Amino acid sequence: MEQKILQKDQIAKLYIELSEEYNIYAPVNEKGNIVFKKIANSDEIELDYLNSKVPPKEVLFPKVEVLFEYKLDGKDVEITDRQDLDEKILIFGVRPCDAYSFELFANFFKAHGDWEDEIYLKKKENTTIIGMGCNSPRTTCFCTSVGGHPFQKDNIDLFLTDLGDKYLVEGISDKGKDIIQKLSWLSDAKDADVKKSEELAKQAEESFTTKFNFDLVTKILDENFEHPVWQEISESCIGCSSCTFLCPTCTCFDVIEENDKYNNRGRRIRIWDTCQSCLYTLETSGHNPRPAKIQRCRNRIMHKFSYYPSNYNCLGCVGCGRCIQACPVNNELRIIIDKILEIEKEEDEKAVA
Amino acid sequence: MRKQLPNPYIPMLTEVVSITSENKVNDIKTIELKFKKEEDYKNFAYIPGQFAEISLIGKGECPIGIASSPTEEGTIKFTIKKMGTVTSGFHNCEVGDIVGIRGPCGNGWPMEDMKGKNIVVIGGGFAFSTLRSLVLYVLDDKYRKDYKDITVIYGNRDSGEVLYQDVLEEWDKRDDIKVVLTIDREEEGWTRKVGFVAAIVKEVAPSPDNAVAIICGPPIMIRTAVAELVELGWKDEQILNSLEMRMKCGIGKCGRCNIGNKFVCVDGPVFSLAELKKMPNEY
Repeated sequence: MEQKILQKDQIAKLYIELSEEYNIYAPVNEKGNIVFKKIANSDEIELDYLNSKVPPKEVLFPKVEVLFEYKLDGKDVEITDRQDLDEKILIFGVRPCDAYSFELFANFFKAHGDWEDEIYLKKKENTTIIGMGCNSPRTTCFCTSVGGHPFQKDNIDLFLTDLGDKYLVEGISDKGKDIIQKLSWLSDAKDADVKKSEELAKQAEESFTTKFNFDLVTKILDENFEHPVWQEISESCIGCSSCTFLCPTCTCFDVIEENDKYNNRGRRIRIWDTCQSCLYTLETSGHNPRPAKIQRCRNRIMHKFSYYPSNYNCLGCVGCGRCIQACPVNNELRIIIDKILEIEKEEDEKAVA
Repeated sequence: MRKQLPNPYIPMLTEVVSITSENKVNDIKTIELKFKKEEDYKNFAYIPGQFAEISLIGKGECPIGIASSPTEEGTIKFTIKKMGTVTSGFHNCEVGDIVGIRGPCGNGWPMEDMKGKNIVVIGGGFAFSTLRSLVLYVLDDKYRKDYKDITVIYGNRDSGEVLYQDVLEEWDKRDDIKVVLTIDREEEGWTRKVGFVAAIVKEVAPSPDNAVAIICGPPIMIRTAVAELVELGWKDEQILNSLEMRMKCGIGKCGRCNIGNKFVCVDGPVFSLAELKKMPNEY
C-alpha cells in the first residue's frame, strides 16, 4: 500500500489540483453547524470537526432533486432528462460511518425490485471519497456495534489519518491510488507516521462508550411487533423527524411537480420525506395504515434493525449517532434499544421464576 | 422482465383515445391510452393485476391498476375514481390529451400458477378493474384452455355502480363462465341477485378443490367473504388479495408502501392470505 504525507498547509494545493477535474464537496462551518457543501475555495474547508450535523448523503441525494424537467405547449409535452449526471464529484473529509452509508444507499437503490435508481447510481459511480479516520469518536458514536470501525477503510477511496499538523494518506481503491499518482508532490510516509496512525486507531477503538448487541436486538424485534414496549417508546416522541432527516441511511422521498405556470414549464422533483410524518402514508381516501406515533416510531426501528437484516442481510444503520444527538426530547436510540433489550431480560426472569 | 430505462422516473408518453363514464354518479371513468411510440408499447409487457404510475405532466402522478387485458391489443385502459388532484385532473381529460406512464409495476396475478385450476373471482365495487383484466385474459381464445371453470361474483351498492356493463353482457352470453351479479338492496328492474357479497359467496358455495379465489374490494367485504370461503374449506394459500397503499415511485425506492419488510409496489400488490397473515397489520 502506498502511504504518503499531506501537510495541512498543502490542502490548498490539493484543492487547486483536484478542482480542475472534480466538483469538490467538503465540510464547512455554516452558522455553527458542520455541513458538506460544494466549495469554491479551500479556505472554506473546516478541518476541526468530529462529524457533520447533516450527513454527506445530501451530496448525492439532495433535499430537493430534479427527476426531469418538462415544457408544455398546448397539448404537447416535452421532457428533458438530467444532463448533469456525468460530472465528477469528490467528497473530502467523509467519516468511515458515512462512507459506509453510501454503500447502503447504492445497494438499496439497486436491490429492491427490478428497477434501479439510475440517478443515484450514476452519481455514485462518478464519486470519489476522501475519508478521514476518527481520532476521537463522540460519546454518541457506536459504529463498532454495527460492524464498523473509526478507522474502517472499506468504501473509501483515499484515506486520511490526522497526525496533528499533517495527514497520513493511503490509497485504498484504484480511484484513490490514481489520485496519489496525480499528486506527485506528496512526500513519502515514514514508519513512525504509520505506527502513530495505528496507535490512534487503537486508542479510538478503545474509547467507545456506546455499545450494542444488535444480533440480539434484531432477534427480539422480529418476535415483538405487538409488544407494549412500543407504546412506552413512542410516548415522548413529538414526531419532529430529526432522526430520519439526519440519518445517513434514510432514503425515503416524496415526489411533487414544481410549475412555472407563466412560462409553461416545470420540473418533477423528489424531496426528502420521513416515515415519522402521518402524511407519509395517508391515502386519498383518508385511510392511514400508520395513523399513530406508535406505528411510526416502530416502523423506524423495525426498518433499520429488523426489515433491513431480513431483506439485505445487514443493519440499516451505520452507528453515526446523529439521531441520538438530534432528538429534542431525549427519546434517543440508546434508550430505545435498552427498552427493547429489557423485553428479553423480563422473559428470562419469567423463565427462571 | 422489463427493460430498464436510463432514468426510471421519466414517463413514456401516451395519448387519450377514449373516455368512458362508468357509473351513474359519474365519478368513475375509464380512460384508454395509446402509446406515442410503438417501441414504448412493446416494452410495456404486462400481465393482469399489475399497475402503472400514470401522470398528467404538471399535475402529478398516481398508481392505478391496469384495467385492460394484455389480450386487448393496441391500447391500455385505466379506471379512475375522482378522489384527489391527479384523479380529478384525469376526469377533466379530453381525447388527445397527453398522459405519462411508467411501468408496468408490481407482481400481478399469478397467471402461470393458476393454470389448470378453477378460478373464482370475487369483486366488490370499484375494485373490479384488475379483475376485468384477469377475466378477459383467461377468456381469450389463446388462454381459455389453460384454465378450468371460471366463476365471477361481483357486488355493488346499487345498479348504477356496476362497472364494465359492455363486457359483463359479453360474459353473460358465454357458457364457459358463470357470472353472478349482486346489489345490496332490491331495486326496480333488477333481475340478478340481491345481498352482500359474503351472502352470495355462501349461496354459490364455490368448491376449494383445485381452485384459486381472487378477492378485491372494500376491507369489510374482503373480511366477510374470506370468512365464508374458510367456512367452505378454502385454505389461506388459495385466497389471493391485491393491496393498495400510498405510493410515489412505484418501483421500490420512495419507501412509503412498506408492510413490514415487504414493499407493496414491488413485492405485491398481490399477496395470498397466507402471506398477509405473516405480515404486520399495517395496511
